[in-house]
Amino acid sequence: MAFAASPAITDSPVAEAVLSVRDVHIRDQVTGREIVHGISFELEPGKVVGIVGESGSGKTLTCRAALGILPDQLEVYAGSITLAGHDIAELSVKQWTGLRGSTISAVFQDPSSYLNPSIQVGPQIAEVIRVKKKVRRREARDQVLQLLRSVRLRNPESVYSQYTYELSGGMLQRVLIAAAIAADPKVLIADEATTALDVIVQAEILDLLADLRERTGLALVVVAHDLAVVAQLCDEVLVIRQGEVVEHGTTADVLYRPRHEYTKLLISEHEQYGLDRFLDAPQRERA
Amino acid sequence: MIRRVLALPAGRIAVGTLSAIVLLAIFGSALAPHNPLATTSAQLRHVSGGHLLGTDYLGRDTLSRLLAGSRASIVGAIEVALIAFFVGAIPGILSVYLGRVFEWLTLRLVDTLIALPFLLVAVAVTALLGNGMTVALLVVGVLLGPGFYRISRAAALTVARSQYVEAAQISGASLSWIVRSHVVSKVLPPISVTMASTVGTGFVVVSSLSFLGIGVQPPAPTWGGMLSSDLNYLSYQPWAPVAPALLIIATVWACNLLADAIRDVSGDAGRVFVSARAKRPLAQGGA
Amino acid sequence: MSASAVLEVEDLEVHYGLGRKRRRVLDGISLAVASGEAVGVIGETGSGKTTLARAVLGLVPFSRGRVVIDGQDVSNASARQWRDLRRRGVVQYVFQDSLRSLDPDLPVAKSLIEPLLIQGIPRAEAAARARAFLDRVHLDAELLDRLPGALSGGQRQRVAVARALVTEPKLIMLDEPVSALDSANRVLVLEILKGLRESGVALVFISHDLGSVAGLADRIAVLYQGELVEVGPTRSVINNPGHVYTRLLVDSVPTLRSAAAKRSERESLRALLHA
Repeated sequence: MAFAASPAITDSPVAEAVLSVRDVHIRDQVTGREIVHGISFELEPGKVVGIVGESGSGKTLTCRAALGILPDQLEVYAGSITLAGHDIAELSVKQWTGLRGSTISAVFQDPSSYLNPSIQVGPQIAEVIRVKKKVRRREARDQVLQLLRSVRLRNPESVYSQYTYELSGGMLQRVLIAAAIAADPKVLIADEATTALDVIVQAEILDLLADLRERTGLALVVVAHDLAVVAQLCDEVLVIRQGEVVEHGTTADVLYRPRHEYTKLLISEHEQYGLDRFLDAPQRERA
Repeated sequence: MIRRVLALPAGRIAVGTLSAIVLLAIFGSALAPHNPLATTSAQLRHVSGGHLLGTDYLGRDTLSRLLAGSRASIVGAIEVALIAFFVGAIPGILSVYLGRVFEWLTLRLVDTLIALPFLLVAVAVTALLGNGMTVALLVVGVLLGPGFYRISRAAALTVARSQYVEAAQISGASLSWIVRSHVVSKVLPPISVTMASTVGTGFVVVSSLSFLGIGVQPPAPTWGGMLSSDLNYLSYQPWAPVAPALLIIATVWACNLLADAIRDVSGDAGRVFVSARAKRPLAQGGA
Repeated sequence: MSASAVLEVEDLEVHYGLGRKRRRVLDGISLAVASGEAVGVIGETGSGKTTLARAVLGLVPFSRGRVVIDGQDVSNASARQWRDLRRRGVVQYVFQDSLRSLDPDLPVAKSLIEPLLIQGIPRAEAAARARAFLDRVHLDAELLDRLPGALSGGQRQRVAVARALVTEPKLIMLDEPVSALDSANRVLVLEILKGLRESGVALVFISHDLGSVAGLADRIAVLYQGELVEVGPTRSVINNPGHVYTRLLVDSVPTLRSAAAKRSERESLRALLHA
């Protein structure tokens, strides 16, 4: 393998990892082609791991593997994924249903496709709560309003009874985050969750995720194609290219001491054409 | 596109069947072993060396009548389709470009025409204007026009709102340039599909009309007319209607098969992509 | 207004809709772009940035104001005058999504020379002229026989840029030219655009992402709710933003170095902006 995970990260876990991905290889069962060539990371409670790569690099497939929703013809054929102490390869369908939402949850790029356009958004989240927590209708509604408030939606009561087309992209993504954290998961995967949003709204969502992590100890996996987005809130960053981890280290290490050419390209793009070029002296002391 | 249609087995069968029928229409009268109008005393004969398909109630040779009758039926069907094309497709494309008044008027006219049952109206009009095939075909053609109108309008509308047309406009393209270089190529496939299926419909209509005794004057042979007269002698020759009926069915079926084949090869880029992907595993599996 | 201005927009106002539904999309926009200058027009969804570009190209009528392109006042131009102006190829436009802006059924070579064919240049000559631009966008001539769908996103966007270049325009407007590309291609396209600016072409970037074009823009114009709230040299807009919206925008752009430090600052700016 071209990479070696920094021993400092994997060998001395601060706390028990809620999600650990160990040397996972994913391949296409039909063609036999390997798509992800070994990816490893440990996610402890309250930590944030970032995965950076182009579309098609295998970052989404890795997330899907962790959620147990790989497309039919793909399989994890080497390595292991452990979720809150369970090896996911041994989980039954029923056990998965129990874990999704209450242990691991996810938000994706296009929020509107995950909600039914003909039902108000509030009742859709209430449904999740009623099933997961077995509470009464009334109580579920109160909890949804509480959730909508916690994702900083300005007017929870009116959002509750609105339809998807009445909400902006940023508001929809907040609603989806509210639904994703409804059953108090330990891990939330945000896969390109801010890609389709305007810059200001993107910052609002990233701030919200940082806020949730601080308040609830939620562990996050943030997946993006932009290194700068990941750098906003991650403790640890993996850079993937064509299914291969080319860089893995603490955020500061990756930003200030990149080893691989590809990481250097990502950084130089920001330095040459991004805002970094104009900002006053970089704050090296963070490193 | 023709080459791609012929690459499909269904396309080859359809084109083969239709060219055989067209050849029949052109050379049918010349191939006929007997004079199709000559009556003999050998009435309602069974199949024999002299009369390969027997004779009808006036002693006329059935095979000769089928061959001679093919032209009227097929030419009629093509006439119907061409009339429908001219009164439908051209206004359909223009409705997108010629302004709101033209658009509104043609749309309302089409709504009206589509509500009329074409066979009944054709019968009614011939009853009013006298028993002529031309009038009947004209009426049916006009009443089938809305199909072409809607199909070509929908295709033209999609193209008109596309960015590549806007890009051409920004480069100073005229309306006729846009229609010639962008619209025609997009509108042609759906129109060909409609054309093939309308020829099939036209064929049924011509056959039905002549079955009802409208259009063609009695001694002249047509497939529909033969079917009708054969039915009167069902107790003597129960197998007689089979020959014209089979020809009608084969022609209509071949038209619909051709329409399907055209639709298959002119599918949108996404479908072509999917089929290309589906083939890949097989190719690799064989390697 | 400088003599070398390729584009002058003065007090532009655009309305959409009729009667009671009529609403103002752009209000009092004034902006001049000189040749060889790159200006980034930054605004969020619904800010009117695309409408501004469309109004400049004559695709959207405006209710007040003046637009001058290459010395010619087009404010009251007829359809025919617009067509003649566009045919000269002085202004070109690059769309965000090259998959949709190139005809999917035509080999890219045909799309590439279309602006020249529209001018009435014979096919062979047009092809020869277009070929001269391939090197500038680092494009292999062999790719030209393919359909747009058979090219990678980066190759396709470079075809779109080459298509905008073949008429040797003085002004190119680009709508999110790099946001759909991967980093390698983003850098490549930005390099190409940099070269263009140096050769004297005026560039107007329309984008929601200040970070994606800042490095190439001499000046930044910030569009907020249909008004230009800030126009100035890139460095000063980024380091000393005047308007609250611009401050929030600058603070929101993800950068490698700033990271989470600005969270509380953003919080207070949001409160200020929505107050």
